[in-house]
Amino acid sequence: MRPPLRQVSIALRAAQTSQCHQQPPTRHFTTTPPTLHNPSTSSSVNETEISHFSALASSWWDPHGPSRPLHLMNPLRHDFIRSCLDSTPSPTSADETGLRYLDVGCGGGIFAESAARLPTTHSVTAIDPSPTILAVARAHAKRDPALSSMPKLQYLPTPIESLPLPASPSHRFDIVTLFEVIEHVDYPAAFLERVGQFVKPGGWLVLSTMARTPMSWFTTIFVAENVLGMVPRGTHDWSKYVNEGEMREFFAGGGVETGSSSSTEGGFGVWGAPRVMGVVFVPGLGWKEVKGSEKVGNYFLGVQKVG
Amino acid sequence: MDTILRRRGAYVCRSCTKTLRRQLSRNYSSAASQPDIYDVVCVGGGPAGLSLLTALRANPVTSHLRIALVEAQDLSKIRSWKLPPDRFSNRCSSLTPSSVQYLDQIGAWGHLERSRVQAFQEIQVWDGVTGARIEFDWAPGSAPAAGTTVAYMNENLNLTSGLLKRIEELGGVAVFDKAKVERIAYREETGDLDLREWPVVHLAGGKQLAARLLVGADGANSPVRSFAGIEARGWDYDRHGVVATLEMEGEGWGSGNEVKIAYQRFLPTGPVAMLPLPGNYSTLVWSTTPSNASLLKSLSAKDFIAMVNAAFRLTPTDLAYMHTQSSGQAAEYTWRLQHTPFNHRAVPQTALAVQDGTVASFPLKMRHADTYTTDRIALVGDAAHTIHPLAGQGLNQGQGDVQSLAKTIEYAVRHGQDIGVAMSLEPYVAERYAANHVLLGVCDKLHKLYSVGSGPLVPLRSVGLSAVNALGPLKTFFMNQAAGNGVKVF
Repeated sequence: MRPPLRQVSIALRAAQTSQCHQQPPTRHFTTTPPTLHNPSTSSSVNETEISHFSALASSWWDPHGPSRPLHLMNPLRHDFIRSCLDSTPSPTSADETGLRYLDVGCGGGIFAESAARLPTTHSVTAIDPSPTILAVARAHAKRDPALSSMPKLQYLPTPIESLPLPASPSHRFDIVTLFEVIEHVDYPAAFLERVGQFVKPGGWLVLSTMARTPMSWFTTIFVAENVLGMVPRGTHDWSKYVNEGEMREFFAGGGVETGSSSSTEGGFGVWGAPRVMGVVFVPGLGWKEVKGSEKVGNYFLGVQKVG
Repeated sequence: MDTILRRRGAYVCRSCTKTLRRQLSRNYSSAASQPDIYDVVCVGGGPAGLSLLTALRANPVTSHLRIALVEAQDLSKIRSWKLPPDRFSNRCSSLTPSSVQYLDQIGAWGHLERSRVQAFQEIQVWDGVTGARIEFDWAPGSAPAAGTTVAYMNENLNLTSGLLKRIEELGGVAVFDKAKVERIAYREETGDLDLREWPVVHLAGGKQLAARLLVGADGANSPVRSFAGIEARGWDYDRHGVVATLEMEGEGWGSGNEVKIAYQRFLPTGPVAMLPLPGNYSTLVWSTTPSNASLLKSLSAKDFIAMVNAAFRLTPTDLAYMHTQSSGQAAEYTWRLQHTPFNHRAVPQTALAVQDGTVASFPLKMRHADTYTTDRIALVGDAAHTIHPLAGQGLNQGQGDVQSLAKTIEYAVRHGQDIGVAMSLEPYVAERYAANHVLLGVCDKLHKLYSVGSGPLVPLRSVGLSAVNALGPLKTFFMNQAAGNGVKVF
C-alpha cells in the first residue's frame, strides 16, 4: 500500500513546524521515525528498498543494464561537485592532502570508484546498508589495480545512523554525497539531519534526487518503469520524492530540532544558500543540464556548511 | 619485477604495484611471465598511434597515465629519418588544415621538417572521358582568406619522425620497438587483483604488457582488431595505387610558389592524381588495374614518365593502347600528343624525371570495422577503416579518430572513469563512426561512378561535374570536406 502522496513533504514540514513550537496534526507525527533519538540502532532505509536494490546487484555494473542512467549521470555528479567547490575560495585542507569523501548509499560503487580515481581525492568512505550490494562493489573494485589495493576507497556495510561520527570536526568530510538516495528514505528530515553532521565546517553536502511533480511521475514511474522498462518496476516511490523548494526550506531552517543529543554530537550546523542544477535525461544523448528543470524533475543540490 | 616497481604512475598507483608484486610472487614461479601493468598499450607506431600517444602525453590531464608503445619496426631509424632536399619519399599524404592544427596543438608540428611540406590552394578535377571539369578553388567570398590552403602534402615519414621527436621530448612512454607481438590474450589467474578482463600483449622474448586500454593502431590487418573479434567489412577495388616521386618542368602553373595546384583526372581505370611537393617536385598517386600497375612498374624511367604525362593528356583510348605495349611508350606519347588538342595550362606541368626507386604500388580497398571499441580495446586509423585514396582523406580520418579518442580519454580521466571500459569509450564511437562512414561511402561511390567508361552514366556524370562547378554552395561544401571542415553537414 502506498503512503499518502504528500508524506515526505509532511515529514519535512512536521519537523520544521515543531521547531516553531506549533502543534502539528497527530498523523503527521506518525511519519517521524520512532527511534530518532537513538540513531545508532535505526536505519534510514527500509527493508523493502534494501531488498529491491540487492536484487539488482548483479546488474549494477552492466553498462546496458538497469543502472545505465546512473552510469550516464555519474560524470555530471563530478561536474556539479566541482562547480560547488569552485564557487567559494578553497575552504578545506583539500589542496594539501586531497578531498575526503563520504558517499552515503553508495550501491555498487559507481560514484565511489570514480571519486577514488581522481587525483584530488584523499579518501572515499562509501557506505550502504545492503551487504549484497557491497559485495558487488568490492568485487568490482578488485578489477582495477588503481583501486583494489589502495587504502583510498573503503566500503562499509552500514546505514549512516550506525557510522560513528568523527569526534573532531576536522576529521569529518569535505564532501558528503547522497546520490539518488533521499527518494528511497522514509524519514528524509531526520536522515539529512544525521548526514549533515558528517560534513566538515566549510565542506559540502551534495545530493541528487527528483522533484515530486506530475512530470516526474510521468517520466520516472510511467515512462521509465512501466512503458520503457528502462528502470525496474518498483525502483521509485513517487510519494517519497522531495522538491527542491522543500530542500531549500529545510537547510534554511537549520534542519530538525531533535533535542540535545544532536547538538552534543556536533549539531546540524548552519548552511549556505544551496546551489541547484536541474538535469533532464534525453534518450540516446544522456543527461543534459536544463536550467529551471529542478522544479519539475531530476536535480542536483549542494549546500556548504558555513558554521 | 624491478621494472614494475620503477615505472610508477599515478593512475596505476604506487601501493598497487606493491600489492601486485605480492600477488605476482604468489601466482607465478617464473619472473619472465609477469606482466607490466599499463593504462594504455598502443600497438602500432604509425601516424595514428604516435599522434594518440603524443596527445595523451602533451595533455596535463592525461600525462600521468602509464603508456606503452609496441612497434615492429626500428623506431630510432624513423626518428632520425633524413633525405637530401631534392629527394622525396614516395609515401606522401595530404594533411587537412584541421589535422595540422591538431598536430600543432599537441606540439608535434614544429618537429616536422617544414621545408619538406607543401601547401596547396587549389584542386583541379576532371572527367577523363568527357572532359567535364571542376575547379576546386575557393568560391569568391567563401575562402577564409586569400590564398587559403586546402591541404598540405607531406611525406608520411616526415610526420612519424616529427611525432617520435615530440614523444622523446615529452618522455614517459615505454617504447617496445623491433618487437614482435606473439599473441594477445586474457589472463586466467585471479588473486588479490582480478585482471581477467585486461588484455595482455605477449612480446617475443617473454615480455608481457597488461592493458587497461589496448589501442589498435596496427593498420588495415590489425591483430588487435582480430583479437577483439571485430569484423572489418568492405571490398577490394581490384585496383592498385601506383606511387612515384616526379621531377617536373617547373614549380607549377600557379603564380610562382604562391598558389600550388593539385590535379586529379578520373580515368575509367581509376583516378590519377598529381600532388605538389616543394620546388619542382610532385608526388603521383595513380589508381589503376593490377595488370596496368605491374606494367607501369616494369617500364624504363623514360617510358614511365611518358605514361604519366599521357595519363593527364591523352584520351582513355590512347592510354589503353599504350598499356598494351611492353616498351616504347615515350615515342608513342610524343607522336600521339601532336594529335591531341588540350589546354596545357589546365593539366599539370610536364613530368621530366622519376626519382630512382620511388615507383611502387599497393592494393586499394574499402574496409570499415563493425565498431571501434569493445571493453578495454579501441581501434584508430587504418585498423578501423581503409578508404580509397581519391580524396586524400585516409590519414586525416585517422587524425580525426585520435583527436576524438584523446578527448574521450581526457573526459574519462577528469570524471574518475575507468578509461578502458566500453562505456567510457562510447563518445569516441558516437563521434567518429558516422562521420567516417559517410566519407568512406562518398569516396566509394565516386570511384564507382567514374570507373564506367561508356554507357548512360557517362554523360550524366559530366553534367554532374559541370553542374557542380557552376553551383557555388555545393562547391564550397566539397572544398570544406577536402579541407576537413565538413563536419557541419552531419
